[in-house]
Amino acid sequence: MPAHPRHRRVATTEPAWLRRLLIGLAIGFVGLVLVLPLVAVFTEALRKGIDAYWAALVEPEARAALWLTLGVALFCVPLNLIFGIAAAWAVTKHEFPGKAALITLIELPFSVSPVVAGLIYVLVFGAQGLLGPWLVARDVQIVFALPGIVLVTLFVTSPFIARELIPLMQAQGTEEEQAALTLGANGWQIFWRVTLPNIRWALLYGAILCNARAMGEFGAVSVVSGHIRGQTNTLPLHVELLYNEYQSAAAFAVASLLALLALFTLIVKHLAERLQVRPRAPATAPNIGGIAA
Amino acid sequence: MSIHTRHLDKRFGAVPVLEDINLDIASGELVALLGPSGCGKTTLLRIIAGLETADRGELYLAGVDASDTPARERQVGFVFQHYALFRHMSVAENVAFGLRVRPRARRLDERTIRTRVAELLERVQLQGLEDRYPAQLSGGQRQRVALARALAIEPRVLLLDEPFGALDANVRKDLRRWIRSLHEAIDVTTVLVTHDQEEAVDIADRIVLMNAGRIEQTDTPEALRMQPATPFVAQFLGAPAQGASVAAC
Amino acid sequence: MRLAAQSGPDSLLNVSYDVSREFFRDLNAAFVTRERSAGRMLRIEQSHGGSSAQARAVADGLAADVVTFNTTTDVDFLAERGVVARDWRQRFPLGAVPTTSTMLFLVRRGNPRGIRDWADLAKPGVQVIVVNPKTGGNGRMAYLAAWGAVRDRGGSDADALDFVTRLYRNVPVLARGGRDATGAFLQRNIGDVLITFECEVISVDREFGSGRVDAIHPSASLLTENPVAVVERTVARRGSAELARSYLNFLYTPEGQEIAARHGIRPRSEAVLRRYANVFRPLKLFTVEQHFGSLAEAQRVHFNDGGTFDRIYTPGKPA
Repeated sequence: MPAHPRHRRVATTEPAWLRRLLIGLAIGFVGLVLVLPLVAVFTEALRKGIDAYWAALVEPEARAALWLTLGVALFCVPLNLIFGIAAAWAVTKHEFPGKAALITLIELPFSVSPVVAGLIYVLVFGAQGLLGPWLVARDVQIVFALPGIVLVTLFVTSPFIARELIPLMQAQGTEEEQAALTLGANGWQIFWRVTLPNIRWALLYGAILCNARAMGEFGAVSVVSGHIRGQTNTLPLHVELLYNEYQSAAAFAVASLLALLALFTLIVKHLAERLQVRPRAPATAPNIGGIAA
Repeated sequence: MSIHTRHLDKRFGAVPVLEDINLDIASGELVALLGPSGCGKTTLLRIIAGLETADRGELYLAGVDASDTPARERQVGFVFQHYALFRHMSVAENVAFGLRVRPRARRLDERTIRTRVAELLERVQLQGLEDRYPAQLSGGQRQRVALARALAIEPRVLLLDEPFGALDANVRKDLRRWIRSLHEAIDVTTVLVTHDQEEAVDIADRIVLMNAGRIEQTDTPEALRMQPATPFVAQFLGAPAQGASVAAC
Repeated sequence: MRLAAQSGPDSLLNVSYDVSREFFRDLNAAFVTRERSAGRMLRIEQSHGGSSAQARAVADGLAADVVTFNTTTDVDFLAERGVVARDWRQRFPLGAVPTTSTMLFLVRRGNPRGIRDWADLAKPGVQVIVVNPKTGGNGRMAYLAAWGAVRDRGGSDADALDFVTRLYRNVPVLARGGRDATGAFLQRNIGDVLITFECEVISVDREFGSGRVDAIHPSASLLTENPVAVVERTVARRGSAELARSYLNFLYTPEGQEIAARHGIRPRSEAVLRRYANVFRPLKLFTVEQHFGSLAEAQRVHFNDGGTFDRIYTPGKPA
């Protein structure tokens, strides 16, 4: 049909050169700001050859850092999943005094610099801190040990899931839940069969963001880590230490590992979005209900 | 099932929305709660459903005090103004929901549920759309899915909140007639909320005319028109000419 | 697995500064080997970071058994808080300083600008890369070395002020830390000369390829001290005092001194120093105490807000 392409051209009013310029600018910007650094990470990482690259990754301290980082994320993401759902549920489906304050509190970690967040925990749990003497007397180590790293990571990542859910759940309102109520469903059934299926994509997206931050967090963790090699050194901290020790190739090799984790996360997110766009499998909701029943 | 309320009061904060509501609806009646927006009619409907609780007064369903009965135990079919269909469920899953969430002891087997869903969809003339999702339906179709879903639990009373509000004029008229005939066919006490007097007059056995949180008059459409109890009733129902005469007296 | 002969803790945590990892890795291995032959199985944990930040962390509860820093004020900071002994200087030989370093110059291969001594750095047209004294210990030592070099030749404080002012006019941009400065000099090829710790020269050669730069030893420079201390708070709780002392004393043994020398860190042992004379070329070394009273005093006069450095250096001022 010859008329078709002409129609398409009419649909955009901007001249062709402007469109090309804008597209060019966008691609150029993405290339410069995102792709180039990524390429640089891998170039630098492989500068001393694939053997040196591999050696940097399998070195015991790097391996320990990787497991620590994965472990912390594995612990923090499910906890924040529960917290995020509970907070969003409370805020959007119920009315209670102090609700506005709670919403502000949920957002607080976003407005606090991560380094300050770390310092707050040192001030509370450190030897000179609020609970310090009590903890020292009981030989409990919070900061400069795993509990501290987990705590600050929880702190900085806590808003991600709630933030994804609250606007969505607010937009969805409570009518579906009320409908389920009049149809005889109990609270648990309403949650598993109505609320959760409606938010599952936002939930997944929030979990992905939360996970990315949990693995990548530097500032807050740096303050409470204690930097003990092989013990409390996370991957981002390990990158910094290597870099400061004039071991760029190793530093970038470990950084490339973080980049790969980020890329992997991105791919998961992309797949999730494609699944979301596709007509959904009708079996999903009854399955979720089936688990609850 | 009959519905009676005695001295119902409800406030939202400092604002009174219902004051001293005494309502008597006989079993099998089709009653319209009519009034301008903000008069409290939807709140009254939601109190009957158990989605709101009154601050004071009693509610009797089938002669039993149901003031403290939780919504999920009232066996009330509620059709929301915007239908509130479960957007992630197909039409069939929506309709089957009330049957699937029953306690295990009272739950029907899957086969019976499917038969029931098919019957209900036939009744609301949606055969063949079982696997569609709410987003793929027209407004009128969604309305009927919501009705079928509410009917699935074999409600003792059917409550409809502005059932025609979101539809365009042609569909409204058809649906009105259809609901009337459905009511006659299944013989369930039905209360609907509307702000459109023509709609109320056309469909209801009796009209409860409300204004500013109070019941102005409860009567058949003819009686309301012939013997308005208050100037407000006359004005709200009357033609412009009659309205003028109200203003004159 | 515990050997029967062993009692007390089987690990130590050494909290140290950020570029000492390779040194301590070798030192720890040697110490562990020595202890094993004496029937004791040990693990030495290491923590590395900016010296002052590390001191803070120890004060806040990082459970270090020993600290090995590159600035004495960081140990003083812990002593003030009762975390290490007040007389920590007397607890180990040589003022509890088993190793030292000094500030010298790195120039581009073949020394194209003909830089020999401090005076050359203040010549017009020479670009000097140096760390900001406000943000890095490396920068403070470089500043004090430059100032002290003038005083050491018999110059007055006024002469020193004049020289240092002219020197910092030749600084195109102050680096944030040691690693930044090296990056600017060798990766971005800014500047003609880099003032840095002697012990960094070896890592720089390894990272950027040897032969790209020449090390220049000025006629005199500052002796910088790498102090050590036992963290009394931790060892009292863990019962590791004896082990901690034995570990730090190992730094003073010929073996410990030898390992330090191999990593470009100046040993205190004259014998070892002589063996590595090609690395640690003799130069006249002066101490902070000689020209500044103490490091704390120098900090107050020169680097605190409104101090001498703030008066001579204005960021962004054209050279």
